[in-house]
Amino acid sequence: MNDVLQQAFDLVTSELFERCRENAPNFGVTIERFRASLERTVRKYLIDASDEPTAEADLREFIETIQADDLFLALACADGNERAWWEFDHNNRSYMERVARHLAKTEADAEEVVDWVYGELYGTRVVDGERVSKFATYSGRGSMRGWLRTVIWHSLVDMHRASHDEVSLDEMTENVGEGAAHANFAAAPAGGEDLMIEGITRDRYRKATVTSLSNAFASLEAHERLLLMYYHVDNLKLREISRLVENEASPLRGWFQRRSQSREKDPNARIHESTVMRWLEKSYARVLQLFRDELKGVHGLSDAEIETCMGLATQDLAGGDIYRNLTENA
Amino acid sequence: MGNTENINLSDARFQGLLERFLRVRSAGDKASDADRHLDEDSFAAFVEGNMTMREATPVIKHLADCGFCRHKTAELVKLDLAFAETEIPASIPQTAPARAADVIEGILSRLFGSGDAAVMAHEEKPSDEPPAADEEKEKK
Repeated sequence: MNDVLQQAFDLVTSELFERCRENAPNFGVTIERFRASLERTVRKYLIDASDEPTAEADLREFIETIQADDLFLALACADGNERAWWEFDHNNRSYMERVARHLAKTEADAEEVVDWVYGELYGTRVVDGERVSKFATYSGRGSMRGWLRTVIWHSLVDMHRASHDEVSLDEMTENVGEGAAHANFAAAPAGGEDLMIEGITRDRYRKATVTSLSNAFASLEAHERLLLMYYHVDNLKLREISRLVENEASPLRGWFQRRSQSREKDPNARIHESTVMRWLEKSYARVLQLFRDELKGVHGLSDAEIETCMGLATQDLAGGDIYRNLTENA
Repeated sequence: MGNTENINLSDARFQGLLERFLRVRSAGDKASDADRHLDEDSFAAFVEGNMTMREATPVIKHLADCGFCRHKTAELVKLDLAFAETEIPASIPQTAPARAADVIEGILSRLFGSGDAAVMAHEEKPSDEPPAADEEKEKK
């Protein structure tokens, strides 16, 4: 951090600290402790996250997103402050139990994971005479409850992993929460091995289709790819995607609004499912255009031949044959 | 097609193609490089939409390419929505709440089968009451 940035950091964190201390005067967190935590976060997620130099405005914007009171509580809990622990337990235990019950397969698993997380939060390891609390990894970039949900989810995956030595990481994630219902979401299409490619022309069309589709998708911007993957692979509903972009500061929302002319009208308007649908439609339109452009420009196909490609690919959908060698082609 | 909710486009055939392609493509994703996955803190911040654009750019790129992290965020969004509809209140103690140290000690006992004084780095003085915030505030 240069001097200007450091001064701004000191000023903003002083104000934030005073506000937090006023809200929780008994937590015993010092300004040095508070600043050290924020400085680590700023370095890791702001300064080091981009090659661009960090402006004072970037810093202020970043610190504004910090859930300062939750961070204050986490720091106090990490230090073993009695009052903070009581407040944490009082405010979050029943929530954690409900999240665990929602995710775990059995009541016993739910109880076990909550106990385990509590142990981790308190810190069961002592390194160089210091207890290592899981709270120390909370930076305040999301809410305390959001972070707890993630920790519980992760702990359940770890528990599942510990009891299933041969299970891959992907399989494990699919056995926790709703993912269990979509355990085959990424399974390669079955069947189709006995389908023969009839003639060299059809083979050429098939290869061109796969290559073009792969390149078209790869040409999309990251936020468009992410949206399509959420919808088609992870089975997120429009309502769930709109939840993800509900916050005005949502980065995914920001990316789509940057490209949208309607943004200027009301950038703070609530994102409805219909908006997400429009984003999807735009992404489809983009990938379809890129797909057609490549079939025409690179493979030299006519409109009629492109239709043939689409027809063949549609026929193949039942057997999944067209994608059999996708990894080699893509 | 799997997810066809509310989508009514002229070229549904292309969507079918794309979906098939994406599913097969994601089946080839490997989650072996666990060190490069997002940390819990970033998951929580992303799911809540609480990131600056600068910070989010590499995260979105990572999620677009990493099936493990993306799937995890998808699950967390579902969870977030499920719990948003039913606000979970703070627990209301019927009696004076136990001291935090007692709560933790009880949990550690269940986890490790003993009182585990060794890991209780903070020796707390016995008390029947939780710390009274208001009283302490008044003293100041």
